[in-house]
Amino acid sequence: MTLDFSAIVPYLHMLFAGAKVTIQASLLSVFFGALLGIFVGALRVVPLAPVRAAAAAYIYIIRGTPLLIQLFLIYFGLPSLGLNLPAFTAGIIGLSINSSGYVGEIVRGGIEAVPKGQWEASKVLGLSYLKTMRFIILPQAIRNMLPAIGNEFVTLIKESSLLSTLAITELTMVGQQVRSVTYASFETFIVVGIIYLVLTSVTSFSLQYVEKKWKVS
Amino acid sequence: MPNNSSDTIPSDSSASQPAIEVRSLHKSFGSLSVLRDVSLSVGEGEVVSVIGPSGSGKSTLARCICRLEEINSGEIYLYGKRTDRSSHSNRDIARLVGMIFQQFNLFPHLSVLDNLTLSPIRILGLSREDAVENAMALLKRVGLEEKRNARPSELSGGQCQRVAIARALAMNPKIMLFDEPTSALDPELVGEVLDVIAGLVDSGMTMMIITHEMMFAKEVSDRVLFMADGNIVEQGHPKKIFSCPEVPRTRLFLQRLLVHFGKELTEGDEKEACRYDA
Repeated sequence: MTLDFSAIVPYLHMLFAGAKVTIQASLLSVFFGALLGIFVGALRVVPLAPVRAAAAAYIYIIRGTPLLIQLFLIYFGLPSLGLNLPAFTAGIIGLSINSSGYVGEIVRGGIEAVPKGQWEASKVLGLSYLKTMRFIILPQAIRNMLPAIGNEFVTLIKESSLLSTLAITELTMVGQQVRSVTYASFETFIVVGIIYLVLTSVTSFSLQYVEKKWKVS
Repeated sequence: MPNNSSDTIPSDSSASQPAIEVRSLHKSFGSLSVLRDVSLSVGEGEVVSVIGPSGSGKSTLARCICRLEEINSGEIYLYGKRTDRSSHSNRDIARLVGMIFQQFNLFPHLSVLDNLTLSPIRILGLSREDAVENAMALLKRVGLEEKRNARPSELSGGQCQRVAIARALAMNPKIMLFDEPTSALDPELVGEVLDVIAGLVDSGMTMMIITHEMMFAKEVSDRVLFMADGNIVEQGHPKKIFSCPEVPRTRLFLQRLLVHFGKELTEGDEKEACRYDA
């Protein structure tokens, strides 16, 4: 067989528009996922056993169930409780919650990697638990966590392809549309794959750059 | 004499109340009993050195006083206020006691200046200007003004410990506790830190110094405590402890040290008056 990419050239702008939605969805999800994840991760180390257990259970459930099922629960399940969310919103919520489970574990690891002496010095300087967390522990923990958070971002870009099942016109969804018009399945998904690869490469290279900068300063 | 066993609960009004008063302190980690019925009183402006073998409970005693460790039983009073219960916030304790750690525990992500100003701004509510002015005066005192923008990773161990001392002083505590402040330092850096501590002694601050620097302890202390096996075995004037210790356990400890440090520790101190029968 021969590959003929010319058939999909007229539809490239559609693919790029889809890529834009993918980027938007990933950026929003990584942002909210990280916020929620830092919160959940911080709860994992709070000196209150019931709170720690609740956070652990949350992480356990999120990481132990498929993202696709979580998306379905939010988009198809919540309406039965009277909560109808637009597909894009539901998708962002689902991805963010899913990501928060993983970020939560990263944050817990990052916090626990900060030496105990930092807690002790903060305590004898009069800092409360929350102030110690905010001014001393988290700034150091986030630095430790940056590489893992970067990986999580890359993962999110790829997993956002599942949003196509909610009929969100992100890259994978658009790819399916282009394929159904052109019948050039192989070519279409090769191009879609390349676009994903470009997105993940740009992301990881920029993160490596940021990490280097941070290490120097 | 310190360590009197008066039964009066220290009251705020009493001018002669001790800075630190520890009564029947017990502390154990799991089944390991680290402090066994320790009682101690340190007067305002008094400098007390604590010596003894490792594992004797010296550090734990200091950590209980600044409430890094919860105690199992007993009472701890700082300036007449009972502080061993959770009714005191970290802030309350920090205004009374500063603590210096063996490993410095500077905040690595903050500049030297920010290490000094964080707590005064966030806890004492000082304005940034006041906190910086105060911090610069303290950095000058420890001879590190020019390092104000450096990160801890750019400093030597001795410089780190001097910054840590300045940071503790920035909270303006009444009492300073030193937990082996020079034990993690290269030998050539010990002197600069001891000089700073000696400067504090001259300023009349109440201090408790846990140290293995016997010459230093002998020079600066008003009183030396010898601890072993979770108890204060012997205490008294440094000349007495180092020259004619009464308790065999103390003697044994010091004799072992003398093997390493030569005779200088005991030289010139009414040595004639001491008769060991060991």
